[in-house]
Amino acid sequence: MTNKSLLSTGLGKVAHNKRYIVWFWLLNLTLAEFGTAAFRRSSHAILDNTLLAQRLVKGFDAGVFGELLFKPEFGSLNFMTYPALYFAFTFFLATALFLPGIFSGYASNYRLPREEFFRACGRNLWRFIRIMIVAGILMGMVAGLLFAANGAIVKKAAESTNEKLPFELQVTGLAVMFLIMTTLRLWFDLAEVDTVLDDKRAVRKSIAAAFRHTLRSLARLLTSYVVVTIVAGILLVGGLWIWMKFVPADSVVGAFLIAQITLFLLLIPRFWQRAIAVSYWQQRMLAPVVAVQPIEPAPVPVATLPIAPVPDTGPVVSSPSTPPTEAPQS
Amino acid sequence: MKIRWRMFAVLATFVLSLVVLIERKPVTAAAQSPAPAKTAAPSLPTSESLTIPDTNLAINSPVPLSQRIVHYEIDAKYDASSRTVDATEVLTYHNLTGQPLDHFPFHLYQNAFQPNATFVRDSKLMGSRDTGYEKWEAKYYGSEDIKSIEVGGQGDLTRNLQFIAPDDDNKDDKTVADLHLAKPIPAGAFVQFKIVFQTKFPETQARSGWKRDFVLGGQWFPKVGVWWHGAWNAHQYHNTTEFFADFGVYDVKLTVPQDEVIGASGIEVSNVTNSDRTKTVTYHGDDIHDFAWTASPRFKVKEADYQAQMGPIKLRFLMQPAHWDQVDRHERITRETLDHFEKWYGPYPYKTLTVVDPEPDSAAGGMEYPTFITAGTTWWMPEGLHEVEGVVEHEFGHQYWYGMVATNEFEDAWLDEGINSYTEVKVLDSILGKDTSVLNLAGATYGEPEQQRDFYISTPDRDAMAQNAYAYVNSFSYGGVTYGKTASVLLTLEGIIGEDTMNKAMHTYFMNYRFTHPTKEDFLKTIEQVSGKDLRWYFNQAVYGTQVLDYEVLSANSYPIDWFEEKKKDKKGGKDAKDSDTIYQSYVTVHRKGDFVMPIEVEVKFDNNEKVREHWDGQSRWTRFSYQKKAKVISAEIDPDHTIHIDRDNFNNSLLVEPNPKPTHKLSTYWLFLTQWMSQAMAWWAV
Repeated sequence: MTNKSLLSTGLGKVAHNKRYIVWFWLLNLTLAEFGTAAFRRSSHAILDNTLLAQRLVKGFDAGVFGELLFKPEFGSLNFMTYPALYFAFTFFLATALFLPGIFSGYASNYRLPREEFFRACGRNLWRFIRIMIVAGILMGMVAGLLFAANGAIVKKAAESTNEKLPFELQVTGLAVMFLIMTTLRLWFDLAEVDTVLDDKRAVRKSIAAAFRHTLRSLARLLTSYVVVTIVAGILLVGGLWIWMKFVPADSVVGAFLIAQITLFLLLIPRFWQRAIAVSYWQQRMLAPVVAVQPIEPAPVPVATLPIAPVPDTGPVVSSPSTPPTEAPQS
Repeated sequence: MKIRWRMFAVLATFVLSLVVLIERKPVTAAAQSPAPAKTAAPSLPTSESLTIPDTNLAINSPVPLSQRIVHYEIDAKYDASSRTVDATEVLTYHNLTGQPLDHFPFHLYQNAFQPNATFVRDSKLMGSRDTGYEKWEAKYYGSEDIKSIEVGGQGDLTRNLQFIAPDDDNKDDKTVADLHLAKPIPAGAFVQFKIVFQTKFPETQARSGWKRDFVLGGQWFPKVGVWWHGAWNAHQYHNTTEFFADFGVYDVKLTVPQDEVIGASGIEVSNVTNSDRTKTVTYHGDDIHDFAWTASPRFKVKEADYQAQMGPIKLRFLMQPAHWDQVDRHERITRETLDHFEKWYGPYPYKTLTVVDPEPDSAAGGMEYPTFITAGTTWWMPEGLHEVEGVVEHEFGHQYWYGMVATNEFEDAWLDEGINSYTEVKVLDSILGKDTSVLNLAGATYGEPEQQRDFYISTPDRDAMAQNAYAYVNSFSYGGVTYGKTASVLLTLEGIIGEDTMNKAMHTYFMNYRFTHPTKEDFLKTIEQVSGKDLRWYFNQAVYGTQVLDYEVLSANSYPIDWFEEKKKDKKGGKDAKDSDTIYQSYVTVHRKGDFVMPIEVEVKFDNNEKVREHWDGQSRWTRFSYQKKAKVISAEIDPDHTIHIDRDNFNNSLLVEPNPKPTHKLSTYWLFLTQWMSQAMAWWAV
């Protein structure tokens, strides 16, 4: 099994289940629409009837935008960010809810019926919450420690006369943190997959099994995850570049379309990583099924000898080809 | 009875002496009370043999440009390990006050960086723009100790030096010391002071001090106050104040470790390598009122020539190694700024200009000293973010508004910082474009006029421009009013008297008051004289007052004059039936929300492309314009030429009758994208 095949197998699963991406994009968009409703309402009230707002259409005048933020009628920044955060959290919960169904879909060789999808979701919800709690505690602690260590190193580096050193250490530290956190993420991805596909009630067993496999195949799995993350980065940068380069400043429709296409494409990498986890589970973690050879009935010998009259001495148990030498004792 | 009176007199004298002793803190611990001068033979020359040099080494002028009052000769040795300077300063002072002087105040600015100093108290109360004091340890403090002070013809008067706190009576503040002489200096006479002092630099604060192996020597030597309007003017150092000093000549010897690359005010006249791994560099400055220097072993240097109106200028750029690729950017904006200032305001007469790119993360960036400025950048500074251009232009502008037009920065900060912010807008708009002079990056733009206005409207009504710099409610208000409001007020003034007249007034002001200490009225009267207009109505509100200007279009609407017949028509032809001959009654109501009264223009547009300009004196709270036309009003806009920069709220300056949701849709698209991306990122890591 090569990385390429793990990546391509995962991508194949994503491609065969494109509808999940579409649904998640719709969910993401819908929740974000709610999350930005307060912003829109405030913005309409101030901008719709003033000529000054034109300076936000033909380009982006940061001064006008700053003045908008200053206006008490617009509300505080919290007024904008809190609803967005609430709905971002809702999207996260929805992801947690529907992910078991997606794992089942990826593992299935056929189009998973809706009933099975939601059955998997409901059956694994509480298990997922338990995994998320464990993952959250562990990842939070590790992230906290890593950030603290990185911060301390960068602070120390700031005493250096090499101005770029703190930045270089910061970037290096973030890269190391990314690798460590990605390792943790793929560990718990495998645990989630194992819980769903092996239908394990005791999530600790899935977590333990996933841990063993993460260690065993770390290079392959991590490489796959990093490659996919790089793809995500390229998609994001590419989308923003196209947005700035080709979409006219006053084209709201163009901006909306390129933004949504970028966001749609950005959903793919994470699903791809999960599909990689499913592929890995199917290839390496699935308990092997012992193939039992069916017992062939002994062929009935074709009688070639002339049938002689047999005296009635009792039942015959030996092969007819080898006549018994003595009768068994009864 | 007589004895009792005598006893009472003795007791009263004793108590009085005690009070005086307590009130006037001696500079040195050894001093117990103001003592008579030592009778030892004076080592300094007396008035008859003294003079202030009329040199012109550092200026492109055959004669002195200022009335030279002081001559500082300083021999200083910098110890890079302890960040201290041990120096001897010989100050020659020419008494041109027209009266005898029996005491001299000296600024000891570095004593501001002590825990109980007024500067730090102010910072804790009012906020500070660059220093937090939460983890401020003794090793970061600064100090300036006078070891001895000798006066020509009067001997050692160290014991007569007393700390005073004229602004806030803070007995722990040691930023001003007053020296009482044994005998007054007659009008017209010279006097010489020999001061032995030690300065310990703080970790950079308020554009002075050390950071890593970099040091900026600003306000580092005892500096005499200014006799101004019949009295000594020597304020304590506050966190929102800068400086005030007399013009003169500076001869400064700096001895530093040999590996240090140094730069300073004035011109370098000699550079001698010493046997003790040090070198002594001597600088000379003419017609300047301060002297600053910097040193770092890591500066990379670029020198270039500039041909100014009065003669050649040597430009010197001291750059951080990581910023070397930006040296051309620094040079380009320096040259362009010089071009504009010489063309618009007047000639730059000095032979040098040193631009220092200070240590990153230090509080040394963005500062002006005569012929010497500090800028500030980062290694990643994108071209479209005009931070470098903004700071270099601003600090260079101070060569005019502070350096040559040497206003009192303690009392009239708006005359240097504010006028300089105004010329910053003019110059950078000319160089970088009006709407892009601050930012032109990734489709986002930001112009200098807007930046200054935003600075102002964030705190518009707490303080007036014309007030002592240390009397603001907080640092935020000081910054918003002194920089942002002044720039916006002068830009608005430009709209009142015309841009050409304003340019002429600024040129006149510079040429008339360079190398002097003008007051706020000198500036305001110059504008009135050049424009030929009485502008008191404006100055009283904008400069001396705290009134806030805010006009709004309260409403704009139209209805058919035969609306009752229209109703009948609707029944026949439908609701949208329209007759091109229909006459509409239209109203536009304009409201003065603020207490700042100013005449304004209003432009009303109709749906037949007709535009009508209205004028309103703004005296009443509101006014209404009415029209009967075969067209409906579609919009009304106050100040259609956008000449008013002090309106607190520009959104309500216009009103579109039919709403246009496009701006909101655009912003919402951005915010929607951010929200979706944020939620995807959260889900990526958390589940």
